[in-house]
Amino acid sequence: MSFSEIVQITWLSVIVSGSATILALLFGLPAATFLYFKNFPGKRLVVTLINTGMGLPPVVVGLFVALLLWRNGPFGFLQIMYTPVAMVIAQFIIALPVIAGLSLTAFEQVDPEFLLQARALGASSWQTILVLFHQSRMGQLAGIIAAFGGVISEVGAVMMVGGNLKGYTRVLTTAIVQETRMGNFRSAVYLGLILLALSFAINWFLTSLQQKGANRWKGPRWK
Amino acid sequence: MEGPALEVKNLKYSINRRLIVEVDYFDLKKGECLVLFGPNGAGKSTFLRLISWLEPFDSGEIYYRGKRVTEKEVPELRKKIVYLLQKPVFFRGTVRHNLLLGLKFRKLEQKEQERKLEKIATVFQIEPLLHRYPEELSGGERQRVHLARAFIIEPEFLFLDEPFNGLDVQYREQLLADFYRIRKFSGVTTILVTHVRQEAAYLGDRLAVMVNGRIVQMGTPEEISACPETPEVSRLMGHEILVEGQVVSVENGLLEIEAHGQKIYAFGQQQRGGKVVLTFRPEEVILASEKPATSVRNWFLAEVKELRPLDLLVLVNLECGFRFRAFISRNSAEELKLQPGKKIWAGVKASALSTRSGKELENVIGKE
Repeated sequence: MSFSEIVQITWLSVIVSGSATILALLFGLPAATFLYFKNFPGKRLVVTLINTGMGLPPVVVGLFVALLLWRNGPFGFLQIMYTPVAMVIAQFIIALPVIAGLSLTAFEQVDPEFLLQARALGASSWQTILVLFHQSRMGQLAGIIAAFGGVISEVGAVMMVGGNLKGYTRVLTTAIVQETRMGNFRSAVYLGLILLALSFAINWFLTSLQQKGANRWKGPRWK
Repeated sequence: MEGPALEVKNLKYSINRRLIVEVDYFDLKKGECLVLFGPNGAGKSTFLRLISWLEPFDSGEIYYRGKRVTEKEVPELRKKIVYLLQKPVFFRGTVRHNLLLGLKFRKLEQKEQERKLEKIATVFQIEPLLHRYPEELSGGERQRVHLARAFIIEPEFLFLDEPFNGLDVQYREQLLADFYRIRKFSGVTTILVTHVRQEAAYLGDRLAVMVNGRIVQMGTPEEISACPETPEVSRLMGHEILVEGQVVSVENGLLEIEAHGQKIYAFGQQQRGGKVVLTFRPEEVILASEKPATSVRNWFLAEVKELRPLDLLVLVNLECGFRFRAFISRNSAEELKLQPGKKIWAGVKASALSTRSGKELENVIGKE
């Protein structure tokens, strides 16, 4: 396996999983905000579904997306099966409940008095939502870390909808499977190390973001 | 004469069909410090939240400078009000960040923000705290910063929910004095919630006494203390029942009352022959070993029943045909060599006694 091939595979992994996570954040955060502020009949069902979705097996998501994008499927006309776009869609579906669920949990851990006090100091509705985001950003980052960590390491969905096409839809995880199957254990181990290093680097960055906002004093709170 | 800055009429609010707040009329004059005074659980905080439009109420009208506030004007008016929660919650970041937040919500220019921050830090003496985190501050410092972040906004209305709660005595006195001075100077129209009588009397230009979700009496602390309109108000103002008696003569509003074989003088509007209940505050009772020649009209030779030390004061239970209580300093108790069984002269000024009659009488007697 050539160096340029490894770079290309690694880069695609980052792009696919990164875009899926960012998309999931763009949809998941507003969804969680809506669920936090609004009460409606069936809310509990929606939250339960989201929490269940946090543990979706990637293979099942892959199967579901494949059924939709298959040539004869309802979205077959888009002709995106076995493309990076299909991989992003599958990983987006895996990441979305993780981000929405953990964001909602993070919101619920914020003392409602914060929002009341923000409001009472003159915050508009938007400013109140920003205060909520700011107060819960440790939890939000935990959600992003969990979602990104989940999608970059999954193999089932990208394999099914990407097809592991060399130079086009091959990512780190599918490449490891491929190399192992072919008995190229050395390459497989190297790719595995790259994947671990990549995960570590991105998590290091996110964690340092998270800890920057951490309170310095960790003891019990005064009244 | 300028009308009230804020008026509330027929405000109702209930949770699960249980009426929590029912206020027929409430007004707030420009520049005054009105103390919303009442026992815990009377609905004081809820009332404040309602009139700052933080919670929707069931029905009622709020008038701002004589004009009824419509739904459309609420966001604009909300910006004029700052309401401080009882529990000082601080947002992530330094004290400085927390102080500036209210100004940022109002999108003030950076320069203006800095100017106000500098001013308020000086006034509240919190410059050394600015770059620290709220979690590191003591309870007293937090309360001080909490107050400062309301004053920095220079709002038209300031609603404060028990801002001196839970502080130790020394710090509380200091903060109370500072608050009094700063508020007077800024002239901001204020409602302050408290259940502490001393705070109410010290800070309030006017009091609104709230009991069970209703405002039962409004007036200056002196007015309310002198003629409480209901037994609850009387109790809240620290009055105690002295005795029930009968008016035997009336002269220029001075009543001569006979009760349990004693003659008692008090001021009141009652008629001759009417029944009255006398109330008083235990602080008003003077004790002496010899009956002194003073202007005090009521002197009873009473027997000391019990002494109960309270901090620097002693609560003395006395009996002279009826029972009553007196607060005196520990030093005086020692000087008088008080002990159970000892006879002592107890004096109460006629003006220190409040008289009530009629239906209230049954209420009071029934509850005591």
